[in-house]
Amino acid sequence: MLVNSVVIVLREVLEAALMISVLLAISRFLGSSARWVAVALTLGLLGAAAYGFFLDPVSEFFDGVGQELLNAFLQFALCGVLAVIVFLIARQHREPREHDPVLPVLMAAAVVLAITREGSEVLIYVTGFVQINNFLSSVGLGSIAGASIGFSIGVLFYYLLLALPKRRMLMISLVLLSLTAAGMAAQATRLLIQADWLSAAGALWNTSGVLPEDSLPGQLLYALIGYEATPSAIEVGFYAASLAVMATSICVGWAICGNRTASPQ
Amino acid sequence: MKRSPHMFRFSNWVVALAIMLATDTIAAPPVFEIEIRNHLFQPDVLTVPANTKVKLIVYNRDSTPEEFESYELNREKVIMGGRKAIIFIGPLAPGEYPFFGEFNPNTALGKVIVKDGNDAGK
Repeated sequence: MLVNSVVIVLREVLEAALMISVLLAISRFLGSSARWVAVALTLGLLGAAAYGFFLDPVSEFFDGVGQELLNAFLQFALCGVLAVIVFLIARQHREPREHDPVLPVLMAAAVVLAITREGSEVLIYVTGFVQINNFLSSVGLGSIAGASIGFSIGVLFYYLLLALPKRRMLMISLVLLSLTAAGMAAQATRLLIQADWLSAAGALWNTSGVLPEDSLPGQLLYALIGYEATPSAIEVGFYAASLAVMATSICVGWAICGNRTASPQ
Repeated sequence: MKRSPHMFRFSNWVVALAIMLATDTIAAPPVFEIEIRNHLFQPDVLTVPANTKVKLIVYNRDSTPEEFESYELNREKVIMGGRKAIIFIGPLAPGEYPFFGEFNPNTALGKVIVKDGNDAGK
């Protein structure tokens, strides 16, 4: 039971933790305040509690696929927010704005969306099994351990990014955020297929022999870039489409920044 | 405007086509049901036809929540205690697709066996 709890909580925490580290590293790079994180974590936990509390009725919506639809909506929303975030970052990559009021708000929104979905599952798990007395200690301890490991990996990742040369760190962060967004879009697509709102044929390829999804690297890649061993064509399509949107968003922002700094000279 | 017999025939075709399309989409996917009891799937082996979309209804008879999960089927859904979940799977190629309950991964184990046409259901 203890190991299970560690794994369950770690899996859910990891995705959010990695995204938060990238956003925090960028905040640090741009020299803006990171106060938004505290607000976002608080709101995210409240969102997770609310979602967990209402999951039962939500699941009944739309002929029993409300859970899938709401999760897909949260994922697509996060995808959209990330697209605007990378644009704003690219726009000020050369000369960070002193007080960009929009970016911290959007970063907070991204974190709230991520925690609401991932956190609700953790809360349902912990509250569901903590009632049973003999499970209390192992579920409680395991969950704390899992959350701590996820948090540690996030911190490690944050310092890893900051240790890179500044320009490269920014590029890598933008690429990572794009891949994260694409992974979210693919996950959302999968949920719509599960809900029968989209139809999918069989898997396009199968890499589970080379890199199983339930292996440690598989899980890390899943959390970071939405790795999936047996994706259907429609998932790959959504993944590619959102990567294209993110790339366009970055390029446009980058170009605007270039023009602005070039013109006064 | 007076309708020509020709038009009539055309509209009849349209109606016939519409009915065909409607019955085709209404033809619901086959339903399969499993239960979760004491953190075990019952039955734990489910045989479904190949290349067919299937509606899976999972009843959670435990008081605790469970998460139906499968890497092979690419499915993941939380089912609260005493509730049921509807999960669409497939169309799938013949083969075995394991699933498990993420909250009780040591006991809640099962698999979907996908078989070609005539063998399914046996």
